[in-house]
Amino acid sequence: MATPEKFKLLKDQGRPEILLSLARVKDTGRLFLGASDGKIYDLDLLAEKPEFKSWEGHQSYVTGLALAGETLVSGSYDGKLIWRDITSGEIKRTLEAHSRWIRKLALSPDAKRVASVADDMVCRVFEIETGKQVHELHGHEARTPNHFPSMLYTVAFSPTGQHLATADRVGHICIWDASTGSKVQSLDAPGFYTWDAKQRIHSIGGIRSLAFSPDGTQIVVGGIGHIGNIDHLDGPSRVELFAWEKAEKVHEFLGDAKGLVESFAFGPDGKWLIGAGGDNGGFVQIYDLEAKKVARSEKVPMHVHSITLSETADKLFACGHGKAAVWEL
Amino acid sequence: MTDLSLSRRNFLGASAATAATAAVAADMTSLDVLQNPLLAGELKQQGKRVILLWLAGGASQLETFDPKPGRPTGGPYRAINTSVPGVQISELMPKMASRLSKYTSIIRSLDTKNADHGGGARLMHLGRRDEPTVKYPDLGAVLARELGRIDSQVPDYVSFYTATEGRGNAISQSGFLGARYNAMFLTQGNVPPNLSRLAEISDLDHQQRGELRKLLSERFADGRQSASLASHNESYSRVRGLMASETLFDISKESQSVRDKYGPTLFGEQCLVARRLVEAGVPFVKISRAWWDSHGQNFETHLELVSELDHVMSALLDDLSERGLLENTLVVTLSEFGRTPQINSSLGRDHFASAWSSSLSGCGIKPGTVYGASDEDGRTVKDGKIGAAELFATIYRAVGIDHRKDYHVGARPLPLTDPGTKPVTEVLA
Repeated sequence: MATPEKFKLLKDQGRPEILLSLARVKDTGRLFLGASDGKIYDLDLLAEKPEFKSWEGHQSYVTGLALAGETLVSGSYDGKLIWRDITSGEIKRTLEAHSRWIRKLALSPDAKRVASVADDMVCRVFEIETGKQVHELHGHEARTPNHFPSMLYTVAFSPTGQHLATADRVGHICIWDASTGSKVQSLDAPGFYTWDAKQRIHSIGGIRSLAFSPDGTQIVVGGIGHIGNIDHLDGPSRVELFAWEKAEKVHEFLGDAKGLVESFAFGPDGKWLIGAGGDNGGFVQIYDLEAKKVARSEKVPMHVHSITLSETADKLFACGHGKAAVWEL
Repeated sequence: MTDLSLSRRNFLGASAATAATAAVAADMTSLDVLQNPLLAGELKQQGKRVILLWLAGGASQLETFDPKPGRPTGGPYRAINTSVPGVQISELMPKMASRLSKYTSIIRSLDTKNADHGGGARLMHLGRRDEPTVKYPDLGAVLARELGRIDSQVPDYVSFYTATEGRGNAISQSGFLGARYNAMFLTQGNVPPNLSRLAEISDLDHQQRGELRKLLSERFADGRQSASLASHNESYSRVRGLMASETLFDISKESQSVRDKYGPTLFGEQCLVARRLVEAGVPFVKISRAWWDSHGQNFETHLELVSELDHVMSALLDDLSERGLLENTLVVTLSEFGRTPQINSSLGRDHFASAWSSSLSGCGIKPGTVYGASDEDGRTVKDGKIGAAELFATIYRAVGIDHRKDYHVGARPLPLTDPGTKPVTEVLA
């Protein structure tokens, strides 16, 4: 199978909030969902009657979740990281981790570390067990070339945990050695950033999603391409694939869908990739990496903010604007 | 024919304005001028100026002056305390938060009904709805008329709009006041084009050409009665004065430290020009900062634009204050409308005119006051609802203009604001 053959909605559950981040208990349909009301929702989407249970703790949008065994780390626009026991819901630790919005978290493959990126333009790496900061990574400019605040949107670990990648609003990507904290590569993907100097005199865009291929040799970054009318997300979804060690762009995918690619999930064999996001609507796209084409593009009922694949790659879980959903692949 | 009622200009006498100004200043008591409320008002407005920061496209009240943290409509930004106890504004405005008690009053209760860019912008430029038979002057033209000096060597109304989006909505029209009060409208950078005398023409040539034009024009006008012709000639008569004001637009005349305070953005540079202009006596300057129409990614857009507004507005108010200009200069922030409390699925906010905000700083304003309130989700005004007319009346009163005065077009009296309109006295000093 080059790409998933089916794409069928199994179930969805609505919420009034915007569901921005997602973590799943392995081999189950139990999801933790970070929401715009500052809460984390606990939902078994595959249960016969799914129910949302909630935990409080943050003062703003919960934009990152990392689940390490029984420990859930959440990050928020309030700048805090909160450690929580998922059985009791008890808060174990709170860190004032960043001075500005936390945009995303990434869990190392061995589940021992969590990385956070924020609009203070710093990536910080913490030990899950102790909460101790291991690295503070500075590689992104605080201002855009046009003198406005930049934003550090996304972070991902490589499958072996050896590397870490971060990407920002203007399309700058840094690859770090996760053990030493040294920068090993820099890439630029300026096609994700639109600066409108004439009509509206401000910007839109940025790299919103990032993932390493299963063999770790490639990274994929997602966002939106050039936008004519930057009042809206009225530009083509955009994905670029890099052989990162050679700093070589392998391919760029411009989907037929409009909007931001917010999240990625690689198929286990590395031959295909799912990207999801949206504008005022939502989409899921399947990219055939061997044929270098968008193999499938599906409209979905919400702007998708985060996705994850089941271990056998037969289900796609997602959360987004007012909804969590699971599809059969 | 435009026939303006008793005003400072008539009072002074257009033919001997300069001398009369000196006479009044020297001997007001002998004229018993302060016993006449209208004349007293006219004198109050001497030397007053207004800078309008036009936030074109519709800035969000929720991400500026009326945050709703913790509410479903509130968005992700926190509210922060200001220097006024009990008053909070968006965390995107820390510099203005610390200056609120010194300079600024907030109005949180605009309900202007029109959430269309074109219609909203016209309403918030004219202070009233259009009328088929009358072409009303916009705020800038009225203030140029009321605050300008007949013998001024600088422009009365300068308007910057560099972005192209929404420029057509940001009207500049002098209406029945005549071309004399049209804006000097700058759309390409910070310096007016074609203001310099052509290098191949000597100053004497230029003067003589002007005199020839005047002679021909007067011959043409002889026996004709036309307000537009008179206003056309009046505009020409000011050309040499306007040419002399070219250096006002040149911010390289400022020290680097002053330029650094305003920052490197176009909006910052234009606000520095605005300060130079009001310092030189220009009564009305509009800086249009476009484009705030954040249907998608509202929060990113506002992070960009509000951060800039907070920095530049603070720098402008500090600079005006330090130069002793703020007590005579009113700084207004205004849009055509605000933005919806509802956050759409593109994480955007749409057009919203039912409960939005403006700010007034400096001249005639009681700093640190907050007028009106929206409900807990920002969907409606719950206290102190006002429209464009009341806001305009407040602006007029702040700079000493009687908002109840009439203009006359022919025999028809045209009130500056609709009869019964009341200014928001709570924010006035």
